[in-house]
Amino acid sequence: MSSLQDIQNIIKAKDNTRNYVNLSGIPSICKSKPCMLGVDEAGRGPVLGPMVYGVAFCPIEKKSILEDLGCADSKALTEEKRDEIFSKMLAQVDALNSVGWAAEVISPNYISNSMYKRAKHSLNEVSMNSAIDLIKKVAESGANITEVYVDTVGPPEKYQAKLCAIFPDYKIIVAKKADSIYPIVSAASIVAKVTRDHALKVWRFTEGLEMDYTEFGSGYPGDPLTKKFIREQIDSVFGYPLLVRFSWSTAENMLKEKAAICTFEEIDDEDSTKKVKTKLISSFFAPPPENSVKTRKRHKFFDERYLRMTNAFE
Amino acid sequence: MSIQVENNLKKGDNKDIFEQRAHYMPCKIEEDGVANVNKYFEPHITEKDGELTASFRGHSLDGVKMLLPDGYRGLVVTEVKKPLAEDADRRFQVAGGFKEIIYWNWDKKPSKNDNLVKAMDWIDIAEAIHGD
Repeated sequence: MSSLQDIQNIIKAKDNTRNYVNLSGIPSICKSKPCMLGVDEAGRGPVLGPMVYGVAFCPIEKKSILEDLGCADSKALTEEKRDEIFSKMLAQVDALNSVGWAAEVISPNYISNSMYKRAKHSLNEVSMNSAIDLIKKVAESGANITEVYVDTVGPPEKYQAKLCAIFPDYKIIVAKKADSIYPIVSAASIVAKVTRDHALKVWRFTEGLEMDYTEFGSGYPGDPLTKKFIREQIDSVFGYPLLVRFSWSTAENMLKEKAAICTFEEIDDEDSTKKVKTKLISSFFAPPPENSVKTRKRHKFFDERYLRMTNAFE
Repeated sequence: MSIQVENNLKKGDNKDIFEQRAHYMPCKIEEDGVANVNKYFEPHITEKDGELTASFRGHSLDGVKMLLPDGYRGLVVTEVKKPLAEDADRRFQVAGGFKEIIYWNWDKKPSKNDNLVKAMDWIDIAEAIHGD
């Protein structure tokens, strides 16, 4: 992987309904010297496309290189600037010798499936697991990680406690807007954002739709192109192609309105109590209601198997 | 009222028409008609050691191929126009058939406790009770 073109080709070759990880080589200096590692995500809010988790790492003594590369608050960087910085991370000798990175592309299908499980799996859990797996993967590949910096949108305390329990030997800092405070998180954010942008650019529909990002847009629910896509690209039975996160309310509401209604088995909440119908005691003394005919109760063999007498041709 | 089923496909040499792929979905779909199964659903089915996985409307599905009971075949019939009178004769055309179904559960591995599997018990019992 030495250019954005290579990254695009790798993404294109992957099955875009599944998750996958891109991992750079581990610079040899990262194996001996203590390293810092940053974690950030991109594409949490969009209704289209994958969410990407990114990590970047480098020796603590070399952290000035991050500023040389231009890693600053990634939200303040333009798309071109982010592409340029990531290109340098892929090709420039100085960067290659001291900065490593990894990105996990979490497919929209995986996100929908997780949120629509019988035991619901929230996006926060998906996110945390991805971050944890990436840190583990980098450490297993031989990087000598000692400090971890994580950007979070939710409350940092719980997240920090969880990471400390899993990685007791690391110094762990979880903070809101970490990507504007710590250059290593900013680098991670650039890895994640650029990967997400290119994943959308090379998206190919397994459903055979002949269109690309110039037509479906950025994937954010507010983008007019994305809105149009969500409104128009509906299959009455299947809903949407797997580019769409079905579990987003934007998609759910549109399908409710425009596609065939699908009803899955309802999952009982733990706290919902079943109402037992108790007959009033006086009912046993009352005369039977008029024209009540005693129907023979069917054997529970049939009830248990949902078998009924029916006419298929009605 | 009588029900007539005509099979004009019997003479045809297209045998595949009686070996269609039928998917048994774990939800109620309020639609009756053609579905883009081969575009939207089948490309995403994966198989590993006989266990199938797929996705429908964002829900993960676990599936398995299920043969119909011995001596049974699946048939698809269509009716050009349903008569208005309730007791009028009905005519159906055979449109295709299947010999197995792909049974899908929502986020749950298919097992012998699934209702459809249990319902098939009735076939043997009915044979024992009503058979010659």
